[in-house]
Amino acid sequence: MATTAPAMKTKKMSMHEALNQALREELSRDEKVVILGEEVGLYNGVHYVTRGLYQEFGKDRVIDTPISEESFVGVGVGMAIMGFRPVVEMMRMDFSLRAMDQIYNHMAKIHYMSGGHLKVPMVLRGPEGPGPNPGLTAQHGQQLTALFAHCPGLRVVTPATQHDAKGMLKAAIRSDDPVVFLEPGPLNNKQGEVGEGEYLVPLDRADTKREGGDITLIGYGASVALCLQAARELEHDGLSAAVIDMRCLRPLDMQPALASVAKTGRALIVEYAWQSYGPGAEIVARLMQDAFWDLDAPVGRVSGKETPLPYAANLEELSKPQLDEIVAKAKEIAAA
Amino acid sequence: MSTTSESIPTPAAARPGRSSAQWKRMLRMMITIREFEHLGEQEFRNGLIRGYYHSYAGQEAVGVGMLEALDPSHDYIVDHYRDHGHCLAMGIDAEQVFAELFGRRTGVSKGKGGSMHMYSPDKHFLGGDGIVGGGISVAAGVGMALKRMPGKGLCVCFFGDGALDTGTFHESLNLASLWDLPVVFVCINNQYSMGTSLQRHSSLSQLVDRASGYGMPTEQIDGQDVGAVYSASERIFAAVRERQRPCFIEALTYRYQGHGIHDKPLNYRTTEEEEPWRRRDPIRLLSEKLIEERQMTPAQIEKMRQEVTAELEAKAERARQAPAPEARELFDDVMI
Repeated sequence: MATTAPAMKTKKMSMHEALNQALREELSRDEKVVILGEEVGLYNGVHYVTRGLYQEFGKDRVIDTPISEESFVGVGVGMAIMGFRPVVEMMRMDFSLRAMDQIYNHMAKIHYMSGGHLKVPMVLRGPEGPGPNPGLTAQHGQQLTALFAHCPGLRVVTPATQHDAKGMLKAAIRSDDPVVFLEPGPLNNKQGEVGEGEYLVPLDRADTKREGGDITLIGYGASVALCLQAARELEHDGLSAAVIDMRCLRPLDMQPALASVAKTGRALIVEYAWQSYGPGAEIVARLMQDAFWDLDAPVGRVSGKETPLPYAANLEELSKPQLDEIVAKAKEIAAA
Repeated sequence: MSTTSESIPTPAAARPGRSSAQWKRMLRMMITIREFEHLGEQEFRNGLIRGYYHSYAGQEAVGVGMLEALDPSHDYIVDHYRDHGHCLAMGIDAEQVFAELFGRRTGVSKGKGGSMHMYSPDKHFLGGDGIVGGGISVAAGVGMALKRMPGKGLCVCFFGDGALDTGTFHESLNLASLWDLPVVFVCINNQYSMGTSLQRHSSLSQLVDRASGYGMPTEQIDGQDVGAVYSASERIFAAVRERQRPCFIEALTYRYQGHGIHDKPLNYRTTEEEEPWRRRDPIRLLSEKLIEERQMTPAQIEKMRQEVTAELEAKAERARQAPAPEARELFDDVMI
């Protein structure tokens, strides 16, 4: 499956513009769609995702909230069980920690606890990880993916390309499930080709971003770009690396990774998240379970360093997964 | 438009006379709830009901008087964990409530929710909630939805005095007032936040004062007198509908059991304290009134109690005989 549908007419734009297009199209298509969040309206969105929507759709569809994360996420839940399709923005996903009772105990649970009588068709979205701007530090640049992906009842997705960002957000808004839509902060301002007009990207399919025969690099969100860069570097060393974008973390689609590992026999997981108990740990466990006899070497991991995100520029950079680490680790695994 | 000391106006159309049938209906429902809880407590002690059991015995007038004043075709309830009585007053069949408590697939939440998580969207009952204060923001969301829907529906949100100590209570009242939501916030002040008395958990003894800072009318009502609750609710609901603004009610009442059946209230309160509340028992107060007004005789009331008990016992028996959920239902209605 290709990154962007080749038959589709595309246009170059940033990830926030792609997301903005998705929101505009869905607000126009379905009057039950509303946006809630801090500074999403008059301010135009701190990361520009909601730019212009308040002017276009008005204050009853694009709703500025006070700084009350727990409660406006709860408002989203309440509107969703009444048949609306709220898209609730976290200015930074770090702030969702304030709303965890609503996310874990309500958004994720009501469908099950009610014996299926109620649905919660809402989207919780926002940027996570160290970006787009540098210097976000420990309470604004965390990658909390694992917290969401851990919880049954939520769909958890994270796009790695501008094209997927648009198609996945549209699919998330139309889904009857509660969706946590994690936008890779480092990619927010990055440009890429985006399909024009209407298309959806499924919320339960991982994607092969690059085929390869020697090693499988597995990433999600912002780390997919690092995997692709590493794959190009590895070419110089005569190694052919496949790149799998896990993009849908719950439900987790292992098929493309398993199919690739069946060919390569080697795998390296790359993620911005902390390593311990993170999504990468789950992916390794699934590989052990379902690809053990295909593996010719232990699965490797390059992750974000297990520290709060530091401020100093050199330390901040060191805390992220590094391209040279990925390349070195891939060579080590390939040689094993 | 509101001031902190504002009282709730009486619309001219409110306060029609009460019919004898209406008083009898309210008496019957209060007795139904009392006897239901009595049977439920027995089954909890027998081990058929697992987990927690929060009895509504003693507080019946609040739910019965208030829900009698609802417009069942447009209004919704968001409840807290002490929810059995409100389920019955909203017209959910006692057999389905028993079945839920017994973990049967015929339960109102198909045996998936249990005591604190009853849901019946058909009866406009949007849940019990196991988290203190957890439903308050959800109710604001239901109010947001109702404001955008035809009809002048309102949402009644029940919680206890302990919920006033949560942050989400204050956030949600601020949102509801800021956004002009048709939500009636009902604090059932039964004098205890679990085992902690009002004097030991609240900085102010008058709970209406803790809500009055949000620019909505507040009112303290006698939660033992079902007629008083009904009259106040009728008047307050009409005002909320007409003005599309929230309000806060504090209903003074007392729970006869501990926070849950499992706790021992005499560890933290005295029988001397309980006595005056029992003298003003809500069923006793209404029975005395109906006898005094010669609407019913003591024998008729006793006959009513016996009929209700026989009916409930038959329903409990049918619920006992109902099947448990099938093993394959474990993974129904959840994203995994």
